[in-house]
Amino acid sequence: MTTKTLFIGMDGCTYTVLNEMTKDLPGEGVAMPFLASLMAKGVRAKLRSTPNPLTPPAWTSIMTGKGPGEHGVFDFIRAEDKGGEVYWTLYDSRDVDAEMIWSIASRAGKTIAALNFPLTAPPPKETNGAIVPGFIPAKHLRRNSHPAGLFERIKQAIPGFDPKELAWDFDKEKQAMESLSDADMENWVRYHLPREEQWFHIAEYILANDKPDLMAVMFDGTDKIQHQAWQFLDPSLMPAERSELYNRVRGVCREYFGNVDRYIKRLVELVGPDAQVFFASDHGFTATVEVLRINSYLEDLGYLKWAESDGSEQALRREASDFANLDWSKTVAYCRTPSSNGIYIRVAEKPGDPGIPKKDYNRVRDKLIEDLKKLRNDDGEPVIVDVLKREDWFQGAHMKDACDLTLVLRDNGFVSIRNVKPPVVKRPNPIGTHHPDGIFMAYGAGISAEGMVGKRKIVDVAPTLLHSLGLPTPSDFEGKVAETFFSGAWLSENPVKIGAPTVRGGEREKSEEMDDNEKKQIIEQLQMLGYME
Amino acid sequence: MANDLSNGKLTSEQLVPKLAALLKDFTQDWDSEFEGQMDRGTTLLADLGFESIDIIQLVVAIEEDITHKKVAFDKLLMKDGRYVDDLSIGQIADFLATQL
Repeated sequence: MTTKTLFIGMDGCTYTVLNEMTKDLPGEGVAMPFLASLMAKGVRAKLRSTPNPLTPPAWTSIMTGKGPGEHGVFDFIRAEDKGGEVYWTLYDSRDVDAEMIWSIASRAGKTIAALNFPLTAPPPKETNGAIVPGFIPAKHLRRNSHPAGLFERIKQAIPGFDPKELAWDFDKEKQAMESLSDADMENWVRYHLPREEQWFHIAEYILANDKPDLMAVMFDGTDKIQHQAWQFLDPSLMPAERSELYNRVRGVCREYFGNVDRYIKRLVELVGPDAQVFFASDHGFTATVEVLRINSYLEDLGYLKWAESDGSEQALRREASDFANLDWSKTVAYCRTPSSNGIYIRVAEKPGDPGIPKKDYNRVRDKLIEDLKKLRNDDGEPVIVDVLKREDWFQGAHMKDACDLTLVLRDNGFVSIRNVKPPVVKRPNPIGTHHPDGIFMAYGAGISAEGMVGKRKIVDVAPTLLHSLGLPTPSDFEGKVAETFFSGAWLSENPVKIGAPTVRGGEREKSEEMDDNEKKQIIEQLQMLGYME
Repeated sequence: MANDLSNGKLTSEQLVPKLAALLKDFTQDWDSEFEGQMDRGTTLLADLGFESIDIIQLVVAIEEDITHKKVAFDKLLMKDGRYVDDLSIGQIADFLATQL
């Protein structure tokens, strides 16, 4: 058995940084010489992300070939509006209402490995191969790894294996969006070096020993580092005179990318010259220069009322959390989480319920869009450059779960939902934010050497990987095979085929049976939401 | 694993050892100071050192390994609009026995 397809995910990776890292810079050299050589011999395109370019919906689109309206994942947090209160839960793999490529390939008799991808826990039991999920705390990694016994196998086989170093740490990850001191900034970047090394060692071990047909690993330090250290990475923000701090933090960032280059080299060597290698990111990156406190603006417009605080420790913690804390009886439109970048409009199910009557929905929504587009910063520039209606951007079985309106800010920033005035302020320094254009690249046998080709959609990654494996595109996929990625000769021998639609696993069917119960469910968020003592 | 609940309802007494076995596996590689047998009176936060995210994961584990379907855990986790301070294995077993 040999690996046909190697897929390396790099969360938030963008050509803005990748071009710098693969270039010979005066005094700095080339941080990623191996990737530079692959890019010179392969093909690449910009990859357009999901309408809200965010990790959970975007990686789920990469894994399912479908958009959020179909797969049903919109944010890190899933919320249910109960009329008098909104209850919160985390999305998990059972909420993904579309078959993932790991399952599609398994059904076709292929073996797979999927390491560090979000929304893969709990792992589907029918998977033919290895899953070690991403975004799961260390204490829960063993039980969420597949197959049973894999975690122990890794623990015994890999010297220095440390799940605490490897896994998601909620307290640490929260720092990605916080303002850090100089020392903390450097430590933040350094924290990701051993983490990524751990994931590399697992990938190397699985690839060398199991040789799955489809080998996939995701490195997510790229995203986390770019959020905080963007000013040290974006060439357009480089100061004329570099400070000692600038050189130090930039040096650690380049060390990180240099390490990733070493991982790529080893994994590509392991799959050999007959394999095809793909790279993709869930979104790109750019600089955000101002803060939009969206709920504060909605309050000014009369759509929203904040919850009264009793001053208790619990109330203060709740106020400071990243989940909207509102007076639900008097709120008509609000933003739930910063990552959603969206606004929900509350519609009363029956007279007396909070929210607007159904018949007023279009009128209220149109007025709200008008109000949002009027907002200007101190320089008179519009802050919100586009407002996406859900029926235009999230068509599918789960459209009703999407935000009524998704905001596109002029600097691609994520909104703040804090109760602070004024609604728009300049940031003291630019920080990183998600850009809708990520990367999609390929190299190897049968891959074109065209260099940059036309932009692709994020839903095109899944059918392209399946095609590389020799499998047809399921007829219900939204995405198409990136045919420009393959050489003419290879495509002639391996024409694109459309096959049977995807299927839903047993897990999915069981979950759907419980839909009514699910609607009543309040899953625990406790201390993380600031709810619990 | 067969569906434990497919052949009739389990009583709270029958659920306690199943939950204890699940929790033993669940916490086996935690840095927990808890020693001794888990029983009806063992509590998640005070005895086993649970944090909020652990409860989310336990709900998933119970649904995957014991109930084999989603359960309305809100009824157990919330009392009078607030989240409960702690839970014992017995309380979870009593709740599951009424829900299934």
